[in-house]
Amino acid sequence: MSAPAELLPTAAADFALRGVGKSFAGVFACRGIDLNVRCGEVLAIAGENGAGKSTLMKCLHGYYLPSEGHIEIRGVPVSFRSPRDAEAAGIAMIPQEVDLFPELSVAENLFVGRKRPRARWGGFDVHAMQLRAREILASLKVELDVAQPVRCLAAAHCKLVEIARALNQDARLIIMDEPTAALTEREAENLFGVVAQLRARGLAVIYITHRLEEIFRISDRLVVLRDGALVAAGPTSDFDTSQLIAAMVGRPLEQLFVRNPHPPGETVLELRKLARRGQFTGIDLALRSGEVLGVAGLIGAGRTALAQALFGIAPADSGEILIGGRAVRIRSVADAVSLGIAYLPEERRSQGLVLPFSITQNISFAVLARFTRFGFVARRREACFAQEEARRFSIRGADVEAPVEVLSGGNQQKVLIAKVLALDPRIIVFDEPTRGVDVGAKTEIYAVIDALAREGKAILLISSEMNELFSMADRILVMCKGRVTGTFERDEFSAAAIGAAAAGVARSRA
Amino acid sequence: MAVETQVEMPMARAMTSRERRWRSWPQTPSLVFLVVLIVVLCVTTPGFATAANLRGVIEQVAVVAIVALAVNQVVLAGEIDVSTGSLVAICSFVYGNVALSQGGAWLPLCAALIAGGAIGAVNGVLSTYGRVPSIVATVGTQFILRGIVLLAGGAQVLNLAVDSRSFGAGAPLGIPTSIVVLAAIFLAMQWLSSHTTFGRDIYAVGGNSRAALATGLPIHRIRLLTFVLSGVSCGLAAAVLLGQIGQLQATAATGLELKVIAAIVLGGTRITGGRGSNVSPVIGAVLVGVILNALTLNRVSGAYELLVLGALILAAVSFEGVRQRLSGERN
Repeated sequence: MSAPAELLPTAAADFALRGVGKSFAGVFACRGIDLNVRCGEVLAIAGENGAGKSTLMKCLHGYYLPSEGHIEIRGVPVSFRSPRDAEAAGIAMIPQEVDLFPELSVAENLFVGRKRPRARWGGFDVHAMQLRAREILASLKVELDVAQPVRCLAAAHCKLVEIARALNQDARLIIMDEPTAALTEREAENLFGVVAQLRARGLAVIYITHRLEEIFRISDRLVVLRDGALVAAGPTSDFDTSQLIAAMVGRPLEQLFVRNPHPPGETVLELRKLARRGQFTGIDLALRSGEVLGVAGLIGAGRTALAQALFGIAPADSGEILIGGRAVRIRSVADAVSLGIAYLPEERRSQGLVLPFSITQNISFAVLARFTRFGFVARRREACFAQEEARRFSIRGADVEAPVEVLSGGNQQKVLIAKVLALDPRIIVFDEPTRGVDVGAKTEIYAVIDALAREGKAILLISSEMNELFSMADRILVMCKGRVTGTFERDEFSAAAIGAAAAGVARSRA
Repeated sequence: MAVETQVEMPMARAMTSRERRWRSWPQTPSLVFLVVLIVVLCVTTPGFATAANLRGVIEQVAVVAIVALAVNQVVLAGEIDVSTGSLVAICSFVYGNVALSQGGAWLPLCAALIAGGAIGAVNGVLSTYGRVPSIVATVGTQFILRGIVLLAGGAQVLNLAVDSRSFGAGAPLGIPTSIVVLAAIFLAMQWLSSHTTFGRDIYAVGGNSRAALATGLPIHRIRLLTFVLSGVSCGLAAAVLLGQIGQLQATAATGLELKVIAAIVLGGTRITGGRGSNVSPVIGAVLVGVILNALTLNRVSGAYELLVLGALILAAVSFEGVRQRLSGERN
């Protein structure tokens, strides 16, 4: 890998990654990464979804053992067997999702896994623990009732308690993964102040975020990961927004699949000011039959929430949904199914398929009533149907009686498609249909999507892969922080413009 | 992406934090219910509010409460132990036979505690390192242990000498011994929960096992030890039980495990772990005792006992669900 040399001299690094790579089943999620972090600085890590940021940080935090390379602390190579080792070495991680003990008090949370102070009579000194907790929080300029259970705290306060916990562990490097994802603007402001204090105190901070303005706001240096490799590094002041976006999305876009062009029909689905509290708001869109509408955006932009609202899993609480020009209400999955909406979830293993069941059973699951007489399932007709579907979607690898858990990711996805299409929907929502699927199966899934569009189905394609959207979508809608921040026609597709819209950076269209 | 939903918590609210904390205690609803029930019974039921009757109620629930205090820890850690009925029975056998051959009370007690702890360890190993869900593992040992008791001592009916009954009979200090034992265990568990790392870790493991693992807590070992604790408590409960009834039968303590779970759930410990206190199982056990006592005093047929108990458990659990929904708690 010809990664750009990091500017920092090696000797000055307090924490360093040396050629670190991590592979899963032979596929590298990140590889050949050299990274230096010095105490008293904030290092931002930027990159698109799936660039390898989280994997890399989990290596640094001892959650994964690197497949190659090693970690150094002040020049001494170390090997972490568990997060506990990393924390003993002064590295703390604050995950994106709050990971505290909800029923324990704030003070208790700070001391789980730590030596608790003891009073002279031999018991734990609760008072001293609370005092220490209050001290640490006060040093972050936060005032909290440290005796109340964490369950009662707001999300912003939970973040601060996690930082306090890291400080109580004498952490010298704190890794923050998307710390502002669940915070309001004002709470985020507070957090920036806290990060600045940590830096002033001589701690090292690694800050992962999708929000580019935050990178410029608080980081001293930044590195950019793309496809598991380090592609850019340097002082933050050397970059501007467009350079950063170019580094993040910078690969040449290749055509993955050539669509068969056909004119779209009339509008099938229309959303007007659709909103769900805390998830997305003011969503307007129109989807025509035979059209593939791509939905781009970063994780947490509200794309999946929108899909789940359409499918009645977590219904919208205001706005209108029109199907075929008629206003409808979608309050449950049953409503959505009867309106002809189908949803292929992102988490197919946990949400879409019954893994120990056979291919046949999975495919016929949703339409079993069709083969049922007097409460008995006509097994032969069920099997015939499944076989036909399996052929139609070229599901390979095993006979239709094999459990789906033995299939490859691509074939599992095809089983899911077959299952969902058995209901003959008019509107199909694909949520990351090719994640974790090999290249060959990808092309087959694209062919299926294309064929469905030609049949006149209206398709919403949620994807984090720019290539995929460019190849498949007729139009692309970009979401950021729960809002639509851009719509692009086919001739306007550009990685930089879409990347900017997804990061919430206002940018005049070229 | 909770953009609009987050509301700053004004610090003025901290003024009422004492009240809020009291409200958030897991045992508060059951405690309130118990107090109301006792007040009502004092007024309506003659013979309830006598010292002798109340003492009798607590003596009756002592065995259930002792075991419930330990199983409570298992539940707090996110597991469950339904083998305690048979465990008490087999510990009773150990106690009884040692008492017969050696005499005294302390030596048999030690034997029963060791036997209980060892069997608890088996439950624990199966449920953690063996990856058998604890409800299944302990149902299994429940049957096996009862089978062993029936095979080994099916026809045996032992009568204990007075000096071997000192944990359940008599009141040397003016307070019945079984109540003294219960109080001692309660205090010991209070100490464990608030002043030992193990006790605190139990709450952490049951409350968020993923975070506990990430913090580096040995979650398997902690859970295993709660099963050992449960087993040891069964050894102690066996000593109290035998002291109280003075006679040993193979069917001893049948159905105890369900009363134990009932006491824990009624007291307000969350069945999935992480939330509860040591007061909960004791209140739950006393609640069960008071209700059964009230039925007896009002000459309600014994056949209604089970019905009332079952209804109470369902009411308590659905109450917790409704409360969570009303207060808009997470999960």
